[in-house]
Amino acid sequence: MKLSRTLEQTEAYLGERFPVDKLNYASMVQKKEVPVHRLSWAYYLGGLALFFFAVQVFTGLMLLFYYQPTVSDAHASVEYITEHVPGGALVRNMHAWASSLMIAAVMVHLLTTFAMKAFARPRELTWVSGVLLFGITLGLGFTGYLLPWHQVAVNATKIGLESVEQIGAYLPGAMAEWPRAVKETIQGEATVGQATLSRFFALHVIILPLAMVGVLGLHLVSVQLHGMSRGVDEEPRRLEKFFPTFFIKDLSVWGVAFMALFVIALCVPFESFYAFPLFEPFDPNGSTPDGIKPEWYFYFVYYPLEILPYWVILLGSGVAGMVLLAAPWVLKNTTRKTLQLLAILAGIYLLVMTICGEQIYHLFKS
Amino acid sequence: MMDAFLFVGLPYIALVVCVVGCIWRARQNRFSMSARSSQFLEDRQLLFGSTPWHIGIGVVLLGHIIAGLLPRVWSSILTVSGALFVIETVGVACSILALVGLGVLIFRRITSARVQAVTTGMDLVVVGLLFLQVLVGLLSAINYRYGSAWSTGTVVPYFWGLVTLNPDMTYVTGFPVLFKLHLVGAWLLILLVPFTRLMHVLVVPVHYLWRAPQLVIWSNARRRREAIEATIQAESRRQFIKGAAGLAGAGGLLAIGVSQKVVGYFRGPAADLEAESALLAKKLHRLQQTAEERALELERQRNDMILVARYADLQDAKGKYFIDYQMAPGLAFKGKDGLPLLISAKCTHLGCTVASDLDAQGRVLCPCHVSYFDVVTGKPNEGAPAKKPLPHLAWALVDATGKVVISKRPGSPPEGSVPAETLPQLSLYITKPPARIA
Repeated sequence: MKLSRTLEQTEAYLGERFPVDKLNYASMVQKKEVPVHRLSWAYYLGGLALFFFAVQVFTGLMLLFYYQPTVSDAHASVEYITEHVPGGALVRNMHAWASSLMIAAVMVHLLTTFAMKAFARPRELTWVSGVLLFGITLGLGFTGYLLPWHQVAVNATKIGLESVEQIGAYLPGAMAEWPRAVKETIQGEATVGQATLSRFFALHVIILPLAMVGVLGLHLVSVQLHGMSRGVDEEPRRLEKFFPTFFIKDLSVWGVAFMALFVIALCVPFESFYAFPLFEPFDPNGSTPDGIKPEWYFYFVYYPLEILPYWVILLGSGVAGMVLLAAPWVLKNTTRKTLQLLAILAGIYLLVMTICGEQIYHLFKS
Repeated sequence: MMDAFLFVGLPYIALVVCVVGCIWRARQNRFSMSARSSQFLEDRQLLFGSTPWHIGIGVVLLGHIIAGLLPRVWSSILTVSGALFVIETVGVACSILALVGLGVLIFRRITSARVQAVTTGMDLVVVGLLFLQVLVGLLSAINYRYGSAWSTGTVVPYFWGLVTLNPDMTYVTGFPVLFKLHLVGAWLLILLVPFTRLMHVLVVPVHYLWRAPQLVIWSNARRRREAIEATIQAESRRQFIKGAAGLAGAGGLLAIGVSQKVVGYFRGPAADLEAESALLAKKLHRLQQTAEERALELERQRNDMILVARYADLQDAKGKYFIDYQMAPGLAFKGKDGLPLLISAKCTHLGCTVASDLDAQGRVLCPCHVSYFDVVTGKPNEGAPAKKPLPHLAWALVDATGKVVISKRPGSPPEGSVPAETLPQLSLYITKPPARIA
């Protein structure tokens, strides 16, 4: 009797989160409507992230035709793509730029949905899958960074992995060795080498994208099932049809995004933001060159990591991660006003750390 | 005699009659100068007749006029084989277009009762003559492969001879019959201009291109209402077509551009021997590097001692890099006591490789997050990101016979002793640390 009641509750819970009776053309396409209000622009961000993901899949598959994931050939093959393959520089540049744009879109999407309290019942699982997607996206960024096998890539990856090992210092007893074991499992050998490259390649090209597609499917289906969340406290001015009105707008946003991406990728090499010698192939016997840092989207944890004691970062990111993941339950009764304030604060923090992180770092260090 | 009439007499008659007649008609009957419209009597066939006809004949006439007025420009353009090809193709295509259009127009004039009502005999003559003229022109273009540049040495001098009152028909008397027919047809048409609807050629309504569309209707209340509705419908259709054309155009361009890039990308670069050999050399070099590293790794797994340097190569203030048993970088200095000083060069903070130069206080710098390590104690400076000291490494000095003269493990005093003067003959080795107890 007890068991059947638990089952019933589970069934009721899942039934509300995944209303499969709406799994039809009429309610998912014909009846879906998008509210028009002052935050309506936020409804484009998820689609934009999806579009950039599609670009990544496409350009990534193209790069696979020439890239060779071995320590001796990786750098040369990337150079070959950039310098010899027709349109190769463009494809690689688009892949690099679109990765940044995708992460930016995902970050803003996360902040706006948070501010709009889009995680409220019955959309809890949509939110959780979204947070997972954010993690996978960052993972793709981290693993993809290593693949060209140049100085910055390898050294930054080393640092990133070392910081995993450092957690050990805060764990009691035998657990202190676990982070090192985790690190070496990811790394595959004592230092970052061929085994690491192979593993990161597998992660970047197969495992994470597959995970992404799976979770993304869940995310998209639940978005279509529940429709757009209203997002604001006041009544929306009006509703517009998702199909075709909003969909066409979505398409035009994608068109503009593609044009912008294409022009940027054509005109501005992604590497132009780094000093030249950093893009020399990695030399295991040389000293680490100056100016090693991760991609911009990790600045928000990287610079605090440089300035503050490690345990503060660990605690802070642990709490932030838990709150993000559990937001639908932890922040169930928080008003939209408070959430917006929090999101704005988080946005300011991200902006400041990403843009002025280095200056802040020097301020503290000198 | 016949030739003289056809190619000298007829042209002058035609030109004089045309000029005088046109001026006379323009002064006498201005409103008759256009071609009388029959659009409101029948407009479907007209669309498919008039439009192709006027586009086709316009392009073909333009070619004739350029060739006649600017023969040098014309022949210089035609020396480019691509241009010749394009012009010939466009010319034939437009002639066919004109012919088809004219065919439709003739059919319409003959079969539509309403159009019949306003058709004059002259209209039929003109339309028939035009059809024959274009047909003959097309046939001669296809039949004789003289090419478009041919006219600049034959018909054009003949034409200019007529214009400059210095007629020379020898240029044309030897022509094939088709060409002669085409010429005679042309003069006949010019002759007919003042007497027929052909005169509208002189008053081409160029401004129609920019003015708003007009609908010709019988006017009454119902018709007006219908016309307004039709206009609205037509406008919205125009908008839709414009939008769709824009989308299709942009999408098409995008598709062409993208597929051009994609195809080129997948086909790969064209073979360039120099670039390819440079690339191969680079790859070989990297492979050798990798092989060396693998060899180092194997050496460290198998050997208990590994050569770092000759003692004589060690320096006080600049360390020599080597690879230790963990495949991590190490630094070898000559210490204050004259004995070697071996220290790990892998920063204890986040694993960067520290620099090899000693500063004034006997420290090496990790460039990543600015930690200074004292090489004697291994300790980082106060407030450095690194907290743990750099570990020292075990070493041994070996003489020429391979015997260990002196060795040292970190944390314990050196075993053995050596006179300072024999030091330069010795070689420095690192020794395998005891296996980690799992």
